[in-house]
Amino acid sequence: MKRTTFIVSAIVASLALSITINSCKPTAAITAKSGAQIWGENCVRCHNTASPETFSDIEWDVTATHMQIRANLTHEESRKVLEFLKAAN
Amino acid sequence: MNVMKGAIILCVLFISLTLHAQDTLSTFHRQASQNYKSLKPGKSKFMMRGYYHSGFESVTTGGETEYNFVSGSINPILMYKQSDKLFFEAEFAGAFEDGEFKWDMEYADMSYVINKYMTIRAGKFMLPFGVFIEKLHPAWINRLATNPLGFGHDGIAPSSDVGIELRGAFYTGSTKLNYQVYLINGPQLKDGSIEPGEAGMLKFGFMEDNNNNKTLGGRIGIFPFSNSMMEIGFSGMTGKVGSKKTIYENVKATLLAIDFSLVKNLDLMKSVIDIKGQYNYSRIGKANYLVPDNTTVYYNFNNVSNTYYTQLSVRPSLIDNDFLRKIEIVSRYSSLQAPEGALWEQNPKQFAIGLNYWIDWRTVLKMGYQTTNGLGDHDAQESISKNLFYLHWAMGF
Repeated sequence: MKRTTFIVSAIVASLALSITINSCKPTAAITAKSGAQIWGENCVRCHNTASPETFSDIEWDVTATHMQIRANLTHEESRKVLEFLKAAN
Repeated sequence: MNVMKGAIILCVLFISLTLHAQDTLSTFHRQASQNYKSLKPGKSKFMMRGYYHSGFESVTTGGETEYNFVSGSINPILMYKQSDKLFFEAEFAGAFEDGEFKWDMEYADMSYVINKYMTIRAGKFMLPFGVFIEKLHPAWINRLATNPLGFGHDGIAPSSDVGIELRGAFYTGSTKLNYQVYLINGPQLKDGSIEPGEAGMLKFGFMEDNNNNKTLGGRIGIFPFSNSMMEIGFSGMTGKVGSKKTIYENVKATLLAIDFSLVKNLDLMKSVIDIKGQYNYSRIGKANYLVPDNTTVYYNFNNVSNTYYTQLSVRPSLIDNDFLRKIEIVSRYSSLQAPEGALWEQNPKQFAIGLNYWIDWRTVLKMGYQTTNGLGDHDAQESISKNLFYLHWAMGF
């Protein structure tokens, strides 16, 4: 019984989360943020900000995915920061 | 006539040279193209990163001082991006313990990006219980050379575990939210059969479970402001911790945490201030433990613990002086309250202050002083006063 309740709760929670996420949109100001701005705002929350020249394009690609997962960046934030770092290194 | 001959010879020579040059250029292009193809990266991308630290410490306990160079640890991190969807990473920690060099696996997990808002992670991963352990503990990130009380060995906050996790981040208007939900083997209850003095403590990060019940946990992080400079997080986990087929098999544990982070440029001080804090709470269900050296008499206690820390660091990153820009001042206060009546009862308070010099963005020299006072650690239930002076160096790579 407990297991059934848990599974049903998990399914309902997942559906609720999906609906919530899909109905939420960032504001125009958030959407307009550049990769450089996102890079400046987010890296420093945990560590000093790395210079774009630190890594190659390929290494930044790996690092951006690592940071999207570990630092909870949104997909858009990660994509914009990666584009900025590749252009600036 | 001679002029005509000369002109013809010159023309032939010119045409020959042109053809030769074209041929050389064509060969060069072909070789360059081959070289480029041989260097062109494939879709699989591999990277090794990590960090290292060591230092010198002076520890004063009970009026006696010891001076030591400490070997610290080296932590290589392997990261492998197989595609835009699949990612693997693992961290190993190598350090000397009792004169022997040992490797430990901190975590090893693979992630699959389901969509823009959901990533599933499986394996042994750092637990998002607060943020200190998951994001701030590496030596090149941690502003001090030590962890706050209650984090790490014999702490009450978990570090890593084996299981499966769903995580992601998204915006609602100008507020960013992130979430993590996981199912793991979970912490295990020490029943005192091996170390009687630790009966009632939790041990974390074991690869094998001691029961069939899995621990459910999660964290929600909220960025109230659009510039991502402040985050407030709420974490929790609950599950059975006792070993199956023992009198402890129904003992449950509930752990909660609140974390806070603010990083802000202060133009007036031409500095960046960084404020961090985390509060952890642990409640373990009622259980009776054998009195040491006695096979019939049991004792129990209200098994509730808590620990917290607050940390402030200031770095004048915005001033013109190149030397001062690399200096950072940091202070931290932390407290641990372990259960009254337990054989590992303790309530130390700790204050630490440090001065850091950043050689570059990921290499730092740390100098600091830390004093710990209160009822001591679980090995000795007596008041302790421990002072530490250290000089550490740490590098991220």
